Amino acid sequence: MAIHTERTGMDGDPTTVRATNPEVRTSETIPPTERKRNLMKMNLGPQHPSTHGVLRLELELDGETVVTCNPIIGYLHTGIEKTFEVKTYLHGLTLTDRMDYLNPLGCNLAYCLAIEKLFECEIPERATVARVLLAELTRINSHLVWLGTGGLDLGATSIMMYCFREREKLLDLFEWMSGARMMTSFIRPGGLADDLEPALLVAIGEFLDDLPARIDEYEDLLTENPLFKERLIGIGVLNGDDAITLGVSGPILRASGVPHDLRKSNPYIGYETYDFDAIVGQNGDCYDRYKVRIAEMRESIKICKQALARMPGGPVKTANRKVMPPPREELGVSMEALIHHFKLFTEGIKPPAGEVYLPVESPRGELGFYIVSDGSGQPARVHYRGPSYANLQVISRMAEGGQLADLIVIIASIDPVLGDVDR
Amino acid sequence: MTTPPGTLGAAPAEPVVEEAAPPALPALLAPFGDAFPVAELGVTQDGIASIRVERDGLLSTIRRLRDELGYIRFIDVTAVDDPSVDPRFELQYLLYTMAEHRWVRVRVETGESVPSITDLFPAANWYEREVFDLFGIHFEGHPKLVRIMMPDDWVGHPLRKDYPIGGEPVDFTVTRAVYATGDRRG
Amino acid sequence: MHLPLLDQTPEQRAKDAAPGFMLTKLAEWSRDTSLWPVTFGLACCAIEMMASTAASYDLARFGSEVFRASPRQADLMIVSGRLTQKMAPVMREVYDQMPDPKWVIAMGDCASCGGVFNNYAVVQGVDKIVPVDVYLPGCPPRPEALIDSILKLKAEIGKGKR
Repeated sequence: MAIHTERTGMDGDPTTVRATNPEVRTSETIPPTERKRNLMKMNLGPQHPSTHGVLRLELELDGETVVTCNPIIGYLHTGIEKTFEVKTYLHGLTLTDRMDYLNPLGCNLAYCLAIEKLFECEIPERATVARVLLAELTRINSHLVWLGTGGLDLGATSIMMYCFREREKLLDLFEWMSGARMMTSFIRPGGLADDLEPALLVAIGEFLDDLPARIDEYEDLLTENPLFKERLIGIGVLNGDDAITLGVSGPILRASGVPHDLRKSNPYIGYETYDFDAIVGQNGDCYDRYKVRIAEMRESIKICKQALARMPGGPVKTANRKVMPPPREELGVSMEALIHHFKLFTEGIKPPAGEVYLPVESPRGELGFYIVSDGSGQPARVHYRGPSYANLQVISRMAEGGQLADLIVIIASIDPVLGDVDR
Repeated sequence: MTTPPGTLGAAPAEPVVEEAAPPALPALLAPFGDAFPVAELGVTQDGIASIRVERDGLLSTIRRLRDELGYIRFIDVTAVDDPSVDPRFELQYLLYTMAEHRWVRVRVETGESVPSITDLFPAANWYEREVFDLFGIHFEGHPKLVRIMMPDDWVGHPLRKDYPIGGEPVDFTVTRAVYATGDRRG
Repeated sequence: MHLPLLDQTPEQRAKDAAPGFMLTKLAEWSRDTSLWPVTFGLACCAIEMMASTAASYDLARFGSEVFRASPRQADLMIVSGRLTQKMAPVMREVYDQMPDPKWVIAMGDCASCGGVFNNYAVVQGVDKIVPVDVYLPGCPPRPEALIDSILKLKAEIGKGKR
């Protein structure tokens, strides 16, 4: 049976210490005279192979047991939110790729949706369906990296090789599409940067036909593996109510039993017309998070196939000349087209004044850009609500009272991206 | 939107959205109108209801939103700086209700400090630290209000409008001017 | 594989047969064929660095068999990602903990010159903090580009220039 102790942690964060072993020693049960002798203060990171980036954890250890775990972030704070204010909206788009760098198209999408909401402009059907396809491919991409690096943290090196093998095929497709493997900036305000070739869509279809068998391979390696289960089941438990109050989102929230997926509850770009399930776990432990993400990969394949099947013809850029430049053929014959093109590339797009927050469901949770526009070509404020920032706060709650090795598993299961946390 | 261009979207007296925004305006704001008769209500372009309160009413508003109106999920705290207005900062709190799948935004204007909501929502801990670090707004009652993004000995609050963008000048005429003054608006 | 001794003519060999020459050549050869990087992935470039160690672009065949977590056991630091003001002292400390001889590859635009982020938070090029041997542009550079930079570094080490 779990023992719960409500206490205020060393730095004032309210935490709940959970322990399955009644003998576990926490900073409350260790008498003060013994405390100084037994607790070891240690730093995990910021340079560490398993912290998924430059995360620093200040730990107090009693042997192998983590007594307190205090995350210190900011080692990747790039000042992106301030940089948005001196750039035009299109220049700012390239910054969004680099925030959650495992989900670059998803960040592009959230940013573009917010800007398009300010403009209230029509996005062509082909662009919308292609955005769904790209967002789900990026979700698969992100989960492959999570699985590969998570497995590597646990010592399972082969899973990393397998996942990155699939990821290479996916990155080849992105490169075919846009010229860049990761930072594509392909989803632009008003549509896409360029059209998707029919041959590319065929290649994506072939990749998706191959992928379920590969995911079966990963499951063969891990899901019923006794070592894997031993290390993941019952570790880092977060119950549903805590998850809701703590602002956690994404697979962590769903693994804790809360059936909340923004694609279902607040759909965007037509997700309500696609047939897929929001995967929900039960126990809120690391194993459930693993199962949720694996199942999400399969659901993403389903959505991608539906998107490919219904991909309509037509343009991929909006006809609104205040948002997207006119096609290049027109520049030679139309003065208005030339002027539009000129103004868009010198002064940038100018969304009407207003403020918008339009979140999307990223592989990590609720990702949204809050854009305040004052009607000029530069935003007055762009704030990025990153899912990993709230998700990482709960690490002390999950890890305290457990073993040091479990802490590594917990970090892997939270799947933080420090670009998302620190921006 | 009827807000005139050239002013920040975060201006006071939030105009209401025309009929085109679903769901219908009275339905969206009705529960707030009953619960917060003195607060200023509005809807922004994203369809999110916003409640403007005074600094003193912040804690009670957030508590009532959480306990009575079902906004149990904390999403975000951020600030917008406009030095041309007094008070210069507008804090925005974003909450979510699982029952109706909707967000609500609570706005507070402040020059310096507001009460902390960490007792109501522990998740606000890091968010308030970030706003303190980057804007300099003090949150009273926060368990540990120290810098989170910048190094501990950093001087200044980077996201304020009067803080320069920093970096180094580059040999192109546009960027030389931009990075010298930190303001590209012309 | 770079075998300088076999490439020389007998005359050159005789000329260079100074005491310690063989050992120097052996040392240079062993250094350039087993460059072990320290895990210093900071941001997005780190993902491409991981991809270059994975099966498709296998970095291990060029000698970087393992990425050592401890700087004491590594001789190459691939700074992959943007270096922020807060992280700079940490990087310097990790660099100082590496034993000589050591080399640094600034991978990506952010490490080389600050990249897209010309602002208060990012150090405009890691060469402000540590001496850099190879600058690798790209945002992020392809895994093949990273391998190319490592091969260029190996060539320099093998010739005894670094």
